[in-house]
Amino acid sequence: MSLLNILELSPSHAFGIHEQANALPYRTVIDQYQLDQIDLTPYNVLYITYFVDQEYLLKHKEIIARFLDDGKVVVFCGHLFRKWLPGASPMMPKEIKSYHDYRVQPVEGAPLFEDVKVEDIVYNKGVAGFFARGYYQPPKHADICLTFTDGKVITYIDRHTTNGTVIVHAGRSLLDYTKSNKTTDKIGSQMLALLEKEVAKEGVR
Amino acid sequence: MRKIAVIYSGNAPHYRTFHEPKYAQFIDQLIYHPDFADADLTPYDVLIVPSQLNKTMLLQNAEKIRNFADAGKTVVAFGPQPWEWLPNQKWEERPTNFWWWLDQGADSGLRVQNEDHPFYNYFTLADCTWHQHGVFWPPEHVTTLVSTVDGGSVLYIDEKSTKGTWVITTLDPDYHYGSYFMPATERFLDNLFQWLSVGEITRS
Repeated sequence: MSLLNILELSPSHAFGIHEQANALPYRTVIDQYQLDQIDLTPYNVLYITYFVDQEYLLKHKEIIARFLDDGKVVVFCGHLFRKWLPGASPMMPKEIKSYHDYRVQPVEGAPLFEDVKVEDIVYNKGVAGFFARGYYQPPKHADICLTFTDGKVITYIDRHTTNGTVIVHAGRSLLDYTKSNKTTDKIGSQMLALLEKEVAKEGVR
Repeated sequence: MRKIAVIYSGNAPHYRTFHEPKYAQFIDQLIYHPDFADADLTPYDVLIVPSQLNKTMLLQNAEKIRNFADAGKTVVAFGPQPWEWLPNQKWEERPTNFWWWLDQGADSGLRVQNEDHPFYNYFTLADCTWHQHGVFWPPEHVTTLVSTVDGGSVLYIDEKSTKGTWVITTLDPDYHYGSYFMPATERFLDNLFQWLSVGEITRS
């Protein structure tokens, strides 16, 4: 039985109609604007995606800080532009001169992208640019999972800034890489496995 | 020069698009979506309603947007609109073909309609061409400017369903420019803000 109890903030936007089709039994989806009204006690992962209202999150950043203080996990997949996520600094867009600039490289031994082909990440039917177009300057001691080939960081895990775990990815929802008949389908399941591992730590449940 | 207000969702693409200096200089007011219900719209001539807005908040404020148009003003709505709130809305979602341009003899499937409309003093079809998420099937009285080959409307102007003017498009340049993807969307927005600010929005 999964230890996971994920609370996802939905921006309730047009594209989200399809994204919610990938709902999991331990993944509760609420409208983003309910964050300041809901009891977060039952949840051990707060999952936040690309189209979220970051002005609202900035206004309620103490809720997120408290969640992390309790040793829980916050995931943000998107382009950060407001300082509501402890330790995380805003996304910088990648300078793109050719499609080669979208090329990524997983960090050996890091979770999430193991056994996922770079070509499957970078190209969608031969077109690059869907996966990631920006990068982060991660906090000191963060574990890097994926970079561009110039070393700029796309995905990292920060277990040091707070009592909890912050996972940041400069792209779309990692849990929703499923059912595309490519090796990128492993990203969704490996993200779940990572979250299971993080919440299994003492005190998180 | 028209006074332009924009509903601002607080999401990252909208943050970039509507804070970009070359567009922000045309925008008189960004209205944060949660504040929209209490906002005074009387100073503005044009209201831009971006794509990907929060469904609940959008529908709660739909009557306010319609009232704005009914004051003889202009509403511009972007992107897929799966929820019915536009006048005489008939939306058909379609699978998005991101890859049409890879085919030999590539055809976007888009066509110019009413090429004598002042819209085309500002835009070319190429400026409106990246992909679509669906089409509208509007009433006959509207002026379609960009259509699909099978007659669906990708961009149209409706001057008759209400007392105002509605510029409605399935295109979502506000999202793509703000997410650093699809260069044609920048050309579209460059033209859009000048057209809305000082251009002839309708033939009249």
